Amino acid sequence: MNGSLQIMLVDDEPIVGKRLKPALAKYGLEVEVFEDGPGALRRLREKEFDIVVTDVRMEDVDGMQVLEYVLANSKRTKVIIITGYATVEVAREALVKGAFDFIAKPFKPDDLRAVIDRAAKALGHPGIRKSDD
Amino acid sequence: MDYSAPDERPITDAVKTEAQRALKERPSFSIRTRIILGFLMLFLFSLGINITSVIMLTRIQSKLGFLESASSYTFEVQQARRFEKNYFLYRTNLADAREHTYRAREILEGDREEMASVVGVAHFETMARHVDRYEELLSRLEEPNEKRGGDSPPYEEIEEELREHGAEMISVAGQLLAKERESVENMLQASKRILIFIIPVLFIVIVYVANFIARQMLQPLNRLMADTRRIADGDFTPITPRRRYRDEFTELAMALNHMWHQLVHRHDLLVQAHKLKAVGTLTAGVAHELNNPINNIMLTASMLEEDYKSLSDRERLDMVRDLLDQAERSRIIVRSLLDFARESELKTGLLQIRDPIEDVLQLTSNQIKLSKVKVVRQFAANLPPFHGDPHQINQVFLNLVLNAIDAMPHGGTLTVTTRIADERDYIMAEITDTGVGIPEHVLTNIFDPFFTSKPTGKGTGLGLSVSLGIIQKHGGEIRVRSRTGEGTTFTILLPMAKVPA
Ligand SMILES: Nc1ncnc2c1ncn2[C@@H]1O[C@H](COP(=O)(O)OP(=O)(O)OP(=O)(O)O)[C@@H](O)[C@H]1O
Ligand SMILES: [Mg+2]
Repeated sequence: MNGSLQIMLVDDEPIVGKRLKPALAKYGLEVEVFEDGPGALRRLREKEFDIVVTDVRMEDVDGMQVLEYVLANSKRTKVIIITGYATVEVAREALVKGAFDFIAKPFKPDDLRAVIDRAAKALGHPGIRKSDD
Repeated sequence: MDYSAPDERPITDAVKTEAQRALKERPSFSIRTRIILGFLMLFLFSLGINITSVIMLTRIQSKLGFLESASSYTFEVQQARRFEKNYFLYRTNLADAREHTYRAREILEGDREEMASVVGVAHFETMARHVDRYEELLSRLEEPNEKRGGDSPPYEEIEEELREHGAEMISVAGQLLAKERESVENMLQASKRILIFIIPVLFIVIVYVANFIARQMLQPLNRLMADTRRIADGDFTPITPRRRYRDEFTELAMALNHMWHQLVHRHDLLVQAHKLKAVGTLTAGVAHELNNPINNIMLTASMLEEDYKSLSDRERLDMVRDLLDQAERSRIIVRSLLDFARESELKTGLLQIRDPIEDVLQLTSNQIKLSKVKVVRQFAANLPPFHGDPHQINQVFLNLVLNAIDAMPHGGTLTVTTRIADERDYIMAEITDTGVGIPEHVLTNIFDPFFTSKPTGKGTGLGLSVSLGIIQKHGGEIRVRSRTGEGTTFTILLPMAKVPA
């Protein structure tokens, strides 16, 4: 458990969390799922995550605000932004602000795993791979 | 994408041809002819007066001529009598008496016709007879003078008779003169009266003719003015004949009908153009919104494939259900747009005002979500229906909701209210936003076609102009009130459908 990466996943679509949590857990990642921005921010105040994956478009608190909070409070945490298909400008803005990378909906679990793998390596982690069950 | 045209065009076409035919079919009676007739009437009237006056004057003139003759006749007769008296008193001047009698007779002879026509033939003959007899008696007086000494028994008798005829001549001439003076006097009086009487009559006739001509010109002009105002206000019925005859204004009415027809056509094209633009806007939102269900499907299907063997039946069933739900969700997202964009046979019918509003809120739900706008619905229950074309009414609310969303780029509240209007027999819908508002000096322009404050490519400025056209076509009204920085309210009034009891 010591070496497992702490992942926060924020998306107001419940199915995203429901499918990605086991998909990432299989690769030895510890995932906490949030369906709204305020809940995520509250948790961020309590705990430092290695990687935060957040949808950019949410009610109340959106992905950009989560990104800003993380950048302001936890330098080493990598933020991966999930964007819509048509929002290239948003993705560019996120990268300029300091997001690690972005991933456009719709994507496959493997696409996200690949980005998380690169983020893990950037954190000095050996990278993720399917844990033996 | 020939929105609403194929169904509606033939109707307006038919209405137009019918109106044009009715306008054309009337017998022609041009304004020109009418004016000529009016002036002709006036001319004939004046001519009548003139002819009457000329006749009167001619008659007065001849009377005056007669009066002159009559007075010289009287004068001669009086002279003759004077000399006659002298003769009887002093036996002198008999020749003078005869001379004057002769002249009197000459006057009678000379103006015979004229005098006879004035006093009547019988009267004239009597006069002539008196003079003849008088003259004869005078000449008889001369005779015994020549044969003096002989017995002259009739001398007294002659004198007697002379006196008698002389007196008769004087009195007849006097009567005649008096009578003719009186008749001339009467005729002059009559002419004066006619001339005085003519003035008000002529005035009335002129006023009538002027009025008649003015009516011929102004009445159709006023009507056409009212018609153009009516068409400009959105009443889309053509001009139909209201007078029995065709005239120069008929051409104008037909030209206006043609223009009206073109306007309706252009308006339909604008409605269509703006609809396509709205579809474009909505498509961006739909593309955005579709990402979510497609993403859910992709993730779920991937995991189902990846873990197929290790999953329990219950988990597999849950995933398949998610797949179905998300597919359904995609269908709903796309369908309302397709419904809106698709050409539809559905035409006018009884509508509940909240139905098109709900349709539009569904249609714009993606835009609403994207711009973080909250929607508040305040629908009155049991509103009476109204008569309308659901697609066109949808388009109006779509324009208003898209405008409201554009006015709230950083989110806000969109309040939709429906209720019975304060105006009798109207229902009302209000779309209120908490957006940037509209500056007062712009408020009068926002319904103008192509007026937009949005960057080119984003706004065409057609939305409100098209919406106004549609609502007016439905017999309704659009109102707006706004405060910069606070928000805007658009109010739609539509006449309630008259439901038979
Ligand atoms: N709810 C609103 N709040 C503020 N301004 C508005 C609102 N609705 C309309 N306007 C103003 O009225 C103008 C005209 O609106 P209209 O819908 O006719 O055209 P548009 O929205 O600019 O273009 P299009 O409808 O083609 O996108 C707008 O450009 C805007 O300035
Ligand atoms: Mg508009």
